[in-house]
Amino acid sequence: MNYSVYPSFAPAVRQLSKSRELFALIICLLLLLPFTNATAGPGSRSKPSAWALAEIRGTVTDTLGSPIPGVIVRVKSTNNATITDEKGAYKLENVSEGALLVFSMIGYQPQQVIATSGRLDIKLSVSDVSLEAVTITNGYRVTHIAENTSSTGTVGGKALENKPFSTVISSMQGQVAGFTAPVTSGQPGGLVDVRIRGLGSLSLSSSPLFVIDGMIVNSGKLGYNTTTADALAGLNQNDIERIDVLKDAAATALYGARGSTGVIVITTKRGSAGRTQVRLDTEIGVSAAMDPPKAGMPLNASQYAELFRETLTNSNFTPEQVETLAESYGLNSGKSNNWYDLVTRTGKQSQYNVSVNGGSEKSKFFGSLGYFSQEATTIGSDFRKISALLNIDHKINSKVALSAGFNVSNVNQNTPYSSQFSGNPTWAARSLRPFQLAYNEDGSMNTTTPGNTNFPGIYNPLWIAEKDKKLLSATKMLGNLKLKWDIVKNLSFSTYTSVDYNGLEETLFLNATMGDGASLKGRSKNYYTRYFNWLSRNQFDYRYDIPGFNNFYVSASVGYEAQKSKEYLLAADGSGFPSAHEDLTALTNAATPLGTYGQYSNYAFTSLYAIGEVNFRNKYAISGSFRRDGSSRFPRANREANFFSIGGTWNVHEEAFFVKQRVLSSLKIRSSYGTTGNANLGNYAWVPQASYSTAYGYAGYNGQQYSSVGNIALKWETSKKFDAGVDIGLANDRFSLTVDYYRNNIDGLIRSIPTSYTTGFTAVSQNVGSMLNHGWEFTVRGDLLRIKDFTWNSNFNLSLNRNKITSLPAGTAVTNGQYYLKEGYSFYTYYMREFAGVDPANGSPLYYTNESRTEKTANIADASLIVQNKQSNPKYTGGFNNLFTYKGINLGVDFNFNLGYWIYGASDLYQTSGTYYTYNKYRFVYDRRWTTPGQVTDVPRMSTTTDNSVSTYRIYKGDHIRFRNLMVGYDFKNLGIFKNLKVSKLHLYGRATNLFTKTFDKRLPFDPEVGFSGFDSQDMLQYRTYTVGVNIGL
Amino acid sequence: MKINNKYTALALAMLMTASSCSDSFLDESPTTAISVEHAIKTDGDMMEATAGMYRVLQGYYLFGRNATVFGDMLADNVYLSSSNSNRLIPHNNFTFVAGNAETRMLWQQAYYAILQANRIIGSEIAENDNVKYLKGEAYAVRALCYLNLVNWFATPHTVNPSAPGVPVVTVSTDVAGPLTLPARNTVAEVYAQILSDLQTAFAMMPATTPTIHISNTNFFSKYAVKALEARAQLYKGDYQKAKDAALEVVQNGGYTLSATKAAFTAYWAATTPRTDKLETLFELNNSAIANNGVEGMDWMYAKGGLGELLVTDDTYALYSPTDMRRELILDGTRGNNQVYYVNKYQNTANTDRDEIKMLRYAEVILTLAESYARLADNTNALQYLNMLAQNRDPEQKAYTLTGSELINAILLERRKELAFEGLRFFDLTRTNASYTRQNMGAKAAAIYPTVTTTDFRRLQPIPELEIAANPNVSQNPGYSN
Repeated sequence: MNYSVYPSFAPAVRQLSKSRELFALIICLLLLLPFTNATAGPGSRSKPSAWALAEIRGTVTDTLGSPIPGVIVRVKSTNNATITDEKGAYKLENVSEGALLVFSMIGYQPQQVIATSGRLDIKLSVSDVSLEAVTITNGYRVTHIAENTSSTGTVGGKALENKPFSTVISSMQGQVAGFTAPVTSGQPGGLVDVRIRGLGSLSLSSSPLFVIDGMIVNSGKLGYNTTTADALAGLNQNDIERIDVLKDAAATALYGARGSTGVIVITTKRGSAGRTQVRLDTEIGVSAAMDPPKAGMPLNASQYAELFRETLTNSNFTPEQVETLAESYGLNSGKSNNWYDLVTRTGKQSQYNVSVNGGSEKSKFFGSLGYFSQEATTIGSDFRKISALLNIDHKINSKVALSAGFNVSNVNQNTPYSSQFSGNPTWAARSLRPFQLAYNEDGSMNTTTPGNTNFPGIYNPLWIAEKDKKLLSATKMLGNLKLKWDIVKNLSFSTYTSVDYNGLEETLFLNATMGDGASLKGRSKNYYTRYFNWLSRNQFDYRYDIPGFNNFYVSASVGYEAQKSKEYLLAADGSGFPSAHEDLTALTNAATPLGTYGQYSNYAFTSLYAIGEVNFRNKYAISGSFRRDGSSRFPRANREANFFSIGGTWNVHEEAFFVKQRVLSSLKIRSSYGTTGNANLGNYAWVPQASYSTAYGYAGYNGQQYSSVGNIALKWETSKKFDAGVDIGLANDRFSLTVDYYRNNIDGLIRSIPTSYTTGFTAVSQNVGSMLNHGWEFTVRGDLLRIKDFTWNSNFNLSLNRNKITSLPAGTAVTNGQYYLKEGYSFYTYYMREFAGVDPANGSPLYYTNESRTEKTANIADASLIVQNKQSNPKYTGGFNNLFTYKGINLGVDFNFNLGYWIYGASDLYQTSGTYYTYNKYRFVYDRRWTTPGQVTDVPRMSTTTDNSVSTYRIYKGDHIRFRNLMVGYDFKNLGIFKNLKVSKLHLYGRATNLFTKTFDKRLPFDPEVGFSGFDSQDMLQYRTYTVGVNIGL
Repeated sequence: MKINNKYTALALAMLMTASSCSDSFLDESPTTAISVEHAIKTDGDMMEATAGMYRVLQGYYLFGRNATVFGDMLADNVYLSSSNSNRLIPHNNFTFVAGNAETRMLWQQAYYAILQANRIIGSEIAENDNVKYLKGEAYAVRALCYLNLVNWFATPHTVNPSAPGVPVVTVSTDVAGPLTLPARNTVAEVYAQILSDLQTAFAMMPATTPTIHISNTNFFSKYAVKALEARAQLYKGDYQKAKDAALEVVQNGGYTLSATKAAFTAYWAATTPRTDKLETLFELNNSAIANNGVEGMDWMYAKGGLGELLVTDDTYALYSPTDMRRELILDGTRGNNQVYYVNKYQNTANTDRDEIKMLRYAEVILTLAESYARLADNTNALQYLNMLAQNRDPEQKAYTLTGSELINAILLERRKELAFEGLRFFDLTRTNASYTRQNMGAKAAAIYPTVTTTDFRRLQPIPELEIAANPNVSQNPGYSN
């Protein structure tokens, strides 16, 4: 076995950010930790032998005998060093005999050799550090990091394997600077919305493009009825070799019209020649409730009863009236229940993976089967995934190679409603009164609607979870075939075809007894949605070596790509289900058809692209790309557009002067500029459309109206990206620091703008406005400590993103929902009335009436809208991932954090306001409410006449640090009895996720991980998982 | 190298597949709708577009309620009951401002209908009788909408033809682009467009309805177009041409008035479109499946609906007891008050509701009478006035008036005949008359009794959202944005 089960965390995570303090902090970290070690490392001192100075010369070649230029040859622990020339030759003078010479070159295993005078030829073998450390892949080609000019973050498969998360993207949280993917719902398999370097568009989707093994796939939520689902949930994280996050123009411009919001390139594992290896991974465990912060726990029966009476009394109800109501709401019944406990549970969790990897130099294969199941801690929500992968590489002859891959998965997901739907168990647990009783006296479930101890509003969530169905069964197939032909030396042609198929069956059943189906005597809706997406690509790759120079070449690729995605939807809806046969929920049993739907929705792209690169001895490299994209999503006149990028890099460590110092072991400076587009708009958004409807018919004739304005002048949103970065290697490249600064100017933002009614329409989507995203990204990664058998490998990354609107059409209203829309401000700047605390005299809420915050009023209608210095997107995001190893013991500790943002409790009016005294309240409302004159607090006196207009009263600080992953394992090494069993690898571990979350707002009533809009909408609670697992290699 | 040839062939085949994709590879069309440029390719398509166009007119923001009701409410025929459903209060109270939603929709929906008409007119399919007929209908609908717009939002042609009218848009938005920001044409220019459209329609429409749709009063016919021209010429003040147009309808249209009281009663009780050329030239369809429900004009008027838009006592008093039209008003109570209900729309209890009368033969006769009178042809004027007046009231003595008295008598007869059909306001504005809206005291939602010739609310405000989006359009005097 040549793999290690442990995340090396070495992944070339390269991106970055800034802020002086943080920068200083990181530098300190870098300078302190490793340097102590580097200078005091074991056995590294050469003996002083001042009398015998020698000149040493020789050549450095690879194992096949080709010279390697640029190899650093250094007398260990001295500044005496040089670099091999283009013929791999070097010469070092004044070397003490017996001194240790270190030969190092990125991508090769370093060698230490005792100096002997005269000739010393060295062969370096390619590093067995996985390629991910030294290459970047963008889906079109693989680039060595020496010639890389782009800002790309890479996560190695080992950091993703066996994580107990249902979607691979959620395992990437905190791994790559500039990549954010908040998990906003506890629904396993739920959509994980990703942003790369912030908000990419105002009206279009800001989600990045996903590329799997070269295929641009359909991503996001593909179905129509499921509460939340992710098209990529079927991917097995154990099948993934690496994920490259393309961030800047040099990396994304190759995706032209679709690169503006970043690209995520997923590469699956492929076979390697040699003995067939079998690997088994098993993990089982439980999911356990992760309670909301104490401030947001619902009140118990006595607390609720107290608050109920107090609210009414404060609102001038007479004691008799209060008691009458209390009686009717069951406050005196002595019967109550705890809804939070009723809707939560301990769930089961398991995953099993088996993979086989092997082959000969001629034919290699990788195959795997996976099973993953997870129950959420909220009733009615679960997830099950079965996946299989087979990747084959075959050399047909010396010139032609064939690669094929087939990846198939099926996901089954039960997804209860979210937000304020009455069927949402989370919402129900927060809203239902403890005195609404889940069960009848006889132990049966309470399905009675009328009566204040029953369910006149929100349904009994236990009944809904048991009887209603909201099921998704998604089948995903991804197949590809690639043929590569080496036509002559340095010229090859490859042709690639891939198919991305998604079939979604969604079944909704609403029971006839209680809930949304009750009035219709049961209702069922079925949706069948199919996406067939194919792509074909032909590419020539050419390399030209400049004559007379060694290792000075130009390489270029040109290609053509065509893609078409066809979506087909068939849906039917019916009501009236057999009352006596509860199991007959299939739509066929419906008595009354309510509707049928069938439609297609397609898009197509054609692209011509070219990539060029000049590389001078891995010292200087310039890269450029050009892509001409055509898309069906834009009007004919504008449907083609050109995108380009140019980038350059200087590997300073290849310079002779560099090797004269020992503080840094490598230094790379790179920068790029280019343009990309955003084509994430509706398939037919530009098309002026005439449609048919019963609302258009006349006098018995079918009617057609020109009803959708379209805009035949619509163009791409274009992002101009600039990036400058530096990669610094320290302590013999044992660890590195990467810093990036970027500016993305996005022009031609598409927004719906009012137009003259004389056009027949009121508003038209137009290209108006511009926006700037800029920021810094920092990554430190590598072995921070190495002391004998102990190593501490770490990946710390930090991103700072700022968004600013830079132009808008004249007359644009500044009020944009809860946000302020104005040049110079972040799109996510809150704009609302500002809560000014509670009047200690009478408990009234106070609000500011002016922007200088000097005048207050108790009448919210008199308060002014104030631009808040608060925004919903975090100023700082990142992660701190660590792996400690000591002999066979390994300990993984991962944190991620989001700092500097605010959340609006969009749905929690009911849990905070006395107006809704019939809803349960957050605990902080009970704890902090004003009750006595003179009391200084921040929760007003509870009253049924509270004005509930939007104000900062329901804004909470979202900052948090999450202890995301804890893993303790033991690697059985060299154990004889296992050897006899032909076990080459045995690793046992235990893991816990989401153990702890540090928050910074005492009032924060919910988990602060919310979507980019900063709105909490009472989605399903996340949970912890506790698992134990074993990895066996045969 | 044999093997290589095989793979070369394979590779080339794949290359060909991909690169053979033609330009049409990128042409994708929605399946739940049709791209407008392809929407009208056959007679059948054009028929569907025509149906869609009429349906806009039928909506309650246009003739299905507001565009009709305002014509009586802002004039002197009806008032809003003090017991009401909060509908149309600003218009009843004469407090409407530029932000008023009903005014905005009156503007927007008219242009939406014009858009549908422009699309039909601009479609380039081979001309045959069907196409000629349907395009003629589209021209007529466009004219109807512009006549409506210019009379609501602009100074009457008879007062100042060079005053700002409304923007004239004759090209579909998919061709002109959705960002077009036209300025207001003059009133005269708008009328020129209206009359040109009507004359084009009349010239191109076959005399008999072709097979493409049924021949009944739900659709514009050749002589309905001519009747609309008579109205437009009258509003314009071109009495010679108004007379010519009206006379053309009277002499060649083949329409008749109800011969008996029973026929008259049955006529108003009917819910179905007509094929017998009795009374109606054009009316909008309200059917069991396509009607305005509780938002319909009929619902607002009828005692069996909201019944909140009531006839002023003065208006009721205009009718002699023997006038059969008085039976189209019901004497009843609302709360504790005695009130008069409009009874022209009698079928609110039925699923198939009353059609919306748009052009009636009686109007043509009165237009003809008025035109003769204004041209000082008293003989003919009296003939046509008496023809209608004596048909409706058998006891009515023949008029023998002349000059302005004759004109006033004709206008009064127009008021009585066309009450609650949305035309009264335009008679008052085109004649530039000050008028009084009867003070109905506690029965009414509010009182705004006197509308002088200088009252700025004789013009509706240009919607403020139009002005916000289209700075080229000027506001009417008296309104702020």
